[in-house]
Amino acid sequence: MRLTFGDTRLLALAAGAIAVGVVLFLNASRKQRKRKKLPYKDESDTVYVVQIPRGKKVPSPSPFPIKLETYLRIAKIPYENVFARKFSSKGKIPWIRHRGKDVPDSQFAIEYLNEQFNVDLEAHLTKEERAMSRAFLKMVEENLYWALACYRFIHDDVRKADYPSVIPTWALLLFGRRIKKYAWGQGMGRHSVEEIFHITKLDFEAISDYLGDKKFLFGDKPCVADCAVFGMLVQVVFNQTYSPHNALIKSEFPNLERFCWTMRNAFWPDWDQILAA
Amino acid sequence: MGLRGSKPTFDDSSNVVYFIQIPLRGLRVPNLSPFPLKLETYLRMAKIPHESIMISTLSSKGKTPWIRHRGKDVADSQFCIEYLNKQFGVNLNEHLTKEQQAVSRAILKMVEENLYWVLVCYRWFFMNPKDMGLSQNIPSLIFAFIRRRVRKYANGQGMGRHSQEEIFHIGKLDLQALSNYLGEKKFLFGDQPSETDCSVFGMLAQFVFSNIESPHCALIKKEFPNLERYCHTMRNTFWPDWDQVLKGDASSTKL
Repeated sequence: MRLTFGDTRLLALAAGAIAVGVVLFLNASRKQRKRKKLPYKDESDTVYVVQIPRGKKVPSPSPFPIKLETYLRIAKIPYENVFARKFSSKGKIPWIRHRGKDVPDSQFAIEYLNEQFNVDLEAHLTKEERAMSRAFLKMVEENLYWALACYRFIHDDVRKADYPSVIPTWALLLFGRRIKKYAWGQGMGRHSVEEIFHITKLDFEAISDYLGDKKFLFGDKPCVADCAVFGMLVQVVFNQTYSPHNALIKSEFPNLERFCWTMRNAFWPDWDQILAA
Repeated sequence: MGLRGSKPTFDDSSNVVYFIQIPLRGLRVPNLSPFPLKLETYLRMAKIPHESIMISTLSSKGKTPWIRHRGKDVADSQFCIEYLNKQFGVNLNEHLTKEQQAVSRAILKMVEENLYWVLVCYRWFFMNPKDMGLSQNIPSLIFAFIRRRVRKYANGQGMGRHSQEEIFHIGKLDLQALSNYLGEKKFLFGDQPSETDCSVFGMLAQFVFSNIESPHCALIKKEFPNLERYCHTMRNTFWPDWDQVLKGDASSTKL
């Protein structure tokens, strides 16, 4: 097909229009990004916690911001929440900013803060208890997390899970598709619904059996593992109350619910006040 | 070596457990994957008669190892153990208290869902491919192809988003926890081995015996020597034929 002079002019006009459109769009986004600049005061000692907005039933539908915030409250580190859908350099949320330094990943954030503020929530633990604390932390965050994520995003309707209304349904569903892919690679996603529930039950049983009648995992003082367990269990105990996992805890592992109330009353006395209206 | 290999013939009327593992016999470990090593150690510990078959057929879940028993295929090493415990009336955790069983599960998951990814990231992203520890090097095109898929999985799981130093640090904390919990004990929970010892051994053997060039191996030798001592204890107890297994051919071995 041979282009006439008229065709070429039309193409040039179209290309020009597209170029102008792209420039206008980029300029508008740049202006929007500038408006949405986050309110850090890098000269202060405040720790900024960047996380998605509050839920109506739980302070966050994600376990990690709750873990991080609970740690900050126990350690009495001054912090300020920044509710935004701004992801870290690792593509995840929450993350923190302190004195101009961004630290992604809740566990690296805690290690950083331990150093900065000379905190050690495990100082009262023996060497063996510290080891067990790490094991429970990893079981909860690298195993139980995936079992519960598969339930929330793949087996059940994610819209029931108390996500803030600023996150549109299509974004939740898209995220759910991504979780399905991730879960396949991680391994949990290859199991059946019943198998995943069985795995969840064994994890609950382990936490419940280790906790026993104790106030916290290792006695009367909480540690980082308690924060992680709390952040994860509140999703079942207070958020997804309709789930079979909630029924399982109520019928077979009631000390897990008791633990959630203990942590909530001790470190989140403002729980009801801070939830989204 | 295609991953959809041929299906072997099984005698489904016998009580023999067919243990199918991917043919990744290492120069220094019976299998480069920690899970076949875990499951085979369990079979030896529980004294369950089994026949080991090394073929590239993956399980219904696309993984290794898997078993076949009386016509039933079971995928996933942990589900295999739960199945075999029931079928053969085995309970390697019987002597543990409730709290110890809880800790046993936590350690199992730390090792298989966290330390495992440290190993994977090391082998596929940071290690020189020539150090894989196989009798033949993986052709670079195949290595690159596999690495791409591993990177996708590791990024999804999370470990792949960290830097090399961060991943090493995470591994160090896991190894430190294992070392501190083991202490002077012969096995994780005392003088008698238990189920989780199979998994911990399967994973640590990769660092201690196979990837001897790795910074993790150097770390263990320098800071956590009881983990190396533990690996030798497990090896001497349950794999007295370790050297023969390594030297022998890659086809079935009857026990």
